[in-house]
Amino acid sequence: MTNNNYDAIIIGGGHNGLVAAAYLARAGKKVVVLERRHMVGGATITEEIIPGFKFTEFSYVVSLLRPEIIRDLKLPQHGLKILPLPSTFTPMDNGDYIAGWDDHDTTRREIYRHSPKDAEAYDEYGRRMARLAKAIKPILGMLPPDPTSLSPKDLMGLLKLGQFASTLTEKELYGLSKIMTQSAADMLEEWFETDALLGTKSASGIIGTFLGPRSPSTAYVLLHHYMGEIDGAFRAWGFAKGGTGGIAESIASSARAFGAEIRLNATVKQVIVKGGRAVGVALENGDEIYAKAVLSSADPFVTFLKLVDQKYLPDDLTHSIKKFRTRGSSGKVNIALSELPKFTALPDSNVLHRGAVSISPSIDYIERAYDDAKYGRFAKEPYVDMIFPSMIDPDMAPPGKHVMSCFVQYAPYDIEGGWDDTKREAFGEAVISTIERYAPNIRRAIIGKQVLTPLDIESISGITGGNIFHGELLLHQLFFMRPATKWSGFRTPIKGYYLAGSGAHPGGGIMGSPGKFAAELALKDGI
Amino acid sequence: MKTYDTIIIGAGHNGLVAAAYLAKQGKKVLVLERRDIVGGQVVTESFGDDFTVDSLHAGGTLRPDIVKHLNLASHGLVVDSVRKPFISLQADSNHLVFDVDPAKTVESIKRYSEKDAANWIPFLDFMKKATQFIETANATIMPRLPKGFNLSEGMALAELGLDLRMMGGKDMMRIVRGIPMTADEFVDEWFESDVVKAAIASLGIHGLTLGVYGAGTGYTLMHNWSNRGGLSHVSVQGGIGKITEALASAVKSLGGEIRTGAEVERIQVDMYTCKGVVLKSGEEISAKNIISAADPKHTFLTLVGAMNLPPEFVWNVQSIKMRGSVAKVHLLTDGKHGIPDGTVVVAPSIKYLEQAYDAAKYHQISEKPYLEVTTSGNVVSIHFQFAAYALNSGVQELAPASATASRRTSELWNEKRNLVEKIAIDTLAEYFPNLKSSIVNRKSLTPLDLEQTYGLTEGDLNHGQIMLDQFMFMRPIPGWSNHKTPIDNLYLCGSGVHGGGGVSGTAGRNVMKVLK
Repeated sequence: MTNNNYDAIIIGGGHNGLVAAAYLARAGKKVVVLERRHMVGGATITEEIIPGFKFTEFSYVVSLLRPEIIRDLKLPQHGLKILPLPSTFTPMDNGDYIAGWDDHDTTRREIYRHSPKDAEAYDEYGRRMARLAKAIKPILGMLPPDPTSLSPKDLMGLLKLGQFASTLTEKELYGLSKIMTQSAADMLEEWFETDALLGTKSASGIIGTFLGPRSPSTAYVLLHHYMGEIDGAFRAWGFAKGGTGGIAESIASSARAFGAEIRLNATVKQVIVKGGRAVGVALENGDEIYAKAVLSSADPFVTFLKLVDQKYLPDDLTHSIKKFRTRGSSGKVNIALSELPKFTALPDSNVLHRGAVSISPSIDYIERAYDDAKYGRFAKEPYVDMIFPSMIDPDMAPPGKHVMSCFVQYAPYDIEGGWDDTKREAFGEAVISTIERYAPNIRRAIIGKQVLTPLDIESISGITGGNIFHGELLLHQLFFMRPATKWSGFRTPIKGYYLAGSGAHPGGGIMGSPGKFAAELALKDGI
Repeated sequence: MKTYDTIIIGAGHNGLVAAAYLAKQGKKVLVLERRDIVGGQVVTESFGDDFTVDSLHAGGTLRPDIVKHLNLASHGLVVDSVRKPFISLQADSNHLVFDVDPAKTVESIKRYSEKDAANWIPFLDFMKKATQFIETANATIMPRLPKGFNLSEGMALAELGLDLRMMGGKDMMRIVRGIPMTADEFVDEWFESDVVKAAIASLGIHGLTLGVYGAGTGYTLMHNWSNRGGLSHVSVQGGIGKITEALASAVKSLGGEIRTGAEVERIQVDMYTCKGVVLKSGEEISAKNIISAADPKHTFLTLVGAMNLPPEFVWNVQSIKMRGSVAKVHLLTDGKHGIPDGTVVVAPSIKYLEQAYDAAKYHQISEKPYLEVTTSGNVVSIHFQFAAYALNSGVQELAPASATASRRTSELWNEKRNLVEKIAIDTLAEYFPNLKSSIVNRKSLTPLDLEQTYGLTEGDLNHGQIMLDQFMFMRPIPGWSNHKTPIDNLYLCGSGVHGGGGVSGTAGRNVMKVLK
């Protein structure tokens, strides 16, 4: 069967693929999204793994989704509703806890309880981080120029970058330089002294990377997570109604409303290239679909090394993509609960269950968890970030019952001896016994669980290495070097073939920018 | 009270280079050195009969243009141009040898990987370009960004950018990408054999408190390669101290004055201007300008004093990461140690190097350390990493700056000195069984000795870790990368400023360009 009618084919129905499709359809183009699974969403899905219990299987919170995308695609009309996560609660080894709230003054009072010095530092820290996040935002919204090129377009890009730099104060510029290069631990230890506060804050610096909080350049990852924005309010984290799958559903609904077609169970085998141009794709089932352009929202490894023949790509690009760091370092444990866990630190209150609970008693705790992973073992005592979606959205579990979503780091993709069922079970057990230390009733409350290793993340979502960002946010994998130097501009050496996933600038998280950028460029190229 | 044009604090190589250049301009200069000998880190000392060692650095060269400008050859400096091999020890005694002759290196690498052997020459070519770039970058004074930008400073930076572009897009990008990489990733771009990769990657952590998985060690690999001009050290005939002896001789012959045993207690500051210095002896000496070759932490927090500086500046200085973790173990032997001539490393695998660093991360001494060994006649000198300056006793950590903490540090280090010696000798003896019986005498220097004897805060050889957030225009602290300080006529010229770190003398020379 052949079909020649499309303007664009989008490979992958994750949030970026759907955003790209919606923008193209909105511009009047005829688009088809090809998704290999039976549902849209990619790593942004909600699935009923245990009857009655809906798991936010992979990604579980949102804050980076760009407001202009929400507006342009009219996502609220398509069911997008983001409910704020009001707090982060960190139980401590001495039986106490430290909490952070969405309100600065409440947080400050809470920190003061532990350290007046930290409370005082927190004011200035908050102001400075907000300034830095605001300062760097325009870069995320900028198409990275190629600094080696002397073409007018790139020179203009560099000039723009220079102009942008000159709008920053000296302090901001140095602040940015420092935060791009420092370790999260070094940055935070300049400000704070309370172990559990340091541990919890440093955790934002390691999410999705195969690095410890003491590794240089993790401060940037921290800032990346600080840039969250819901309704224009900085650094608010939220939970989507219906789980993150609700986000994908709303984008899909918007795309369909603009006229895009979405085909499920349609696995792309190869991109068809003719005369140096991408003209369509061949599916696993033998079908061929033709279009003027192909946008891949798969990760760079799949996009460049699996879907196209190497002969169309320059050697140094192939080399760079092979070396592109996409080591999965995290796993997920999703649990169906008969009752909420009771935390010894705050046994009589359920208020903390509306927010995140973070097992991060100190920086060294997380660093030691990383040590396990860097030598090929999962962390025996991991960093765990958990939320209770059923507390925010009651539809997620049967009445009176709950679901719990645990993001766990570290679990290396390349575990010694390879992942198997025994190791997966042991990994899940390590997570539960870690939580049990702070909430002893957890074990008896478990109705069922789903343990996902990076290998599982890879095999289910298709992301190489199971890396949630499609490639780590390392300095040499950012901006004009993401995913490879000279090819950071969403275009590829094959005309009409675009990278539209998180492996492109500005990177991972439920942001939608790569999909939007790629669609805009494809439109500009006149598809 | 005597008055000078310029007082230079510290007679290490950078202080002496600055003094010589100033004296050459006809300035009246005085160098003050707290020890009884000149040299700082670049020193050859005797610890007994026949036991003369290059205490801290096994080799190094000043930049050739400095040697020429100051006519150091006429002051007795002979640079030993004969480079010796770099040898990575292997358990089977079939060591990996990076010979001076690239063809021989290729042969040696072949045992591990044909592909790596084929990549050696292209890698050398690339490193040559990286070296050129780093040397140019080091010779460029880093301006303040961006408001205090004056045109002449900006031009230098623009030239640097142009230099980088002239290399062609591919190499330029490779260098730029290499800077934030880990040493592991950096070597992984070229090589596949773990043995080959580890040998080269060891250069990325040498002298540093980071492991090969630490971002930015790609840069330090290039930095150390550029300082050495390759993997192995270039040794100096008669000991590395000949470099500073020649410099001191040049200073004197140009009319400069050097006083040893003259420890500066503080710099006299009034309203952001310094008038002179006060010595430990109580003597006061005044000068128009003061240049400190001491590390920035010591300079600002001890010599100037926090109350004479803006609070935010003090905060930034306090945040400079020093974190020394290098110890030295010198052995006098009967000559039958069996260790080959050259720069010999214990760096068997990437994982081994990273594990050695883990000890430092948790304030401990590595039980399986990364070692770099050099021999000179009967003397064996071992560079030991990692042994954390701030040792953890298991008791709750105190702020390192406090008096209690430093007392505790010295108690701990007195207990652990023998442990470092034992680990170093045991590790090396696994490769050279005759070593133990050959030892006649020993002298070790702990990170604490590095601080107390050589004046290096926290035992940091580089006057501040060479990390991404402490290099180029962020060295020693953001906003003050141009040798200037908040004190109007006080300047820095030590390894703690951009251009420093290594024996090149660049920092000592660069300060001339900004001096009033």
